[in-house]
Amino acid sequence: MDEAQLIKGIQQGDRKSFQTLVETYQRMVVNTCLGIVHSKADAEDLAQDVFLEIFRTAENFRGDAKISTWLYRIATNRSLNLIRNNKRKRFFQSIEETFTGGRNRTSEISENLGDQPDQNITDQQRSDLLHRAIDRLPEKQRIAFTLNKYEELPYQQIAEVMEISLASVESLIHRAKKNLQEQLLDCYKKKCV
Amino acid sequence: MVSYIKSNKMKNNCIHKDLIFYLDNELSVEKRTAVEKHLQECADCRSFFAFLQDGMQVIEKEKKPEVSPFFYTRLSARLEEKPEYQTKNQWVRLAQPAFFSLILVLGIYGGSKLGSKASSAKVNQQATSSVQMLNDFAAEPIESFLLDEL
Repeated sequence: MDEAQLIKGIQQGDRKSFQTLVETYQRMVVNTCLGIVHSKADAEDLAQDVFLEIFRTAENFRGDAKISTWLYRIATNRSLNLIRNNKRKRFFQSIEETFTGGRNRTSEISENLGDQPDQNITDQQRSDLLHRAIDRLPEKQRIAFTLNKYEELPYQQIAEVMEISLASVESLIHRAKKNLQEQLLDCYKKKCV
Repeated sequence: MVSYIKSNKMKNNCIHKDLIFYLDNELSVEKRTAVEKHLQECADCRSFFAFLQDGMQVIEKEKKPEVSPFFYTRLSARLEEKPEYQTKNQWVRLAQPAFFSLILVLGIYGGSKLGSKASSAKVNQQATSSVQMLNDFAAEPIESFLLDEL
């Protein structure tokens, strides 16, 4: 079944076509979300929301772009929205904790790490470090970098997903890598891992 | 190559800023050779390069995760649930503005009714007399009060 047939089927409410679409693209969508939110559970929930949105708005799909481009666009937007909502929640939580004297989260994390073997601690720390560095990137740099690194998309397709020029993608990825390196160098100097 | 080495002070200083591009194979042949040569000589850069490699390796390990085998089953269940939720939502979406509009209209109506009562002649008269009672200056000017004190 080609893309046009698949979309036509979904537009007519055909569940079989929808299932084919989900099975074909679920890994790609989960991987894209994972690259931005860094949590597998959140990434799967987001991927579900992406496919629900596709099913409900299929009639709006004009067919001038590939399905994958459409999916990437929705996946990245939804992932960024989740991060924004979480940031807002954390902000209000921190205010609440200021008044109620909540427990320090850092100590909870280090307590949990205490049960794991040394190698896993280093792996976990390394992974946390990279996630933190990616999270500190400006949104556009983060999206371009994630699509390039996690999904191995060529710059041209990233430009289509983000609806920007090829030169802008090149510049975004270059700056993202520079920023990441600066952050990792800073950490290396401070010996944080 | 000599100019590149000189401009980047590779002989004496570290080349940290080029390493991520070296790792991704994005440097020109000339720069690449210079970085490789420098890495052989500089222990600090070698150490940071290993640190950088380990960090970026995280992405390779995380890439292409196994998706839950029940992904479509869960999605299918949500697809069934959603219309009910949507109709509920639609009711709320219609009822909420209607309710607040009603409160607004009632508020304006009540306010105008009270306003019209307050502007009637009777109320006006009462208000003037109560103000007069409070205004002692009309009954006893300040000059006469001060003269009496003397």
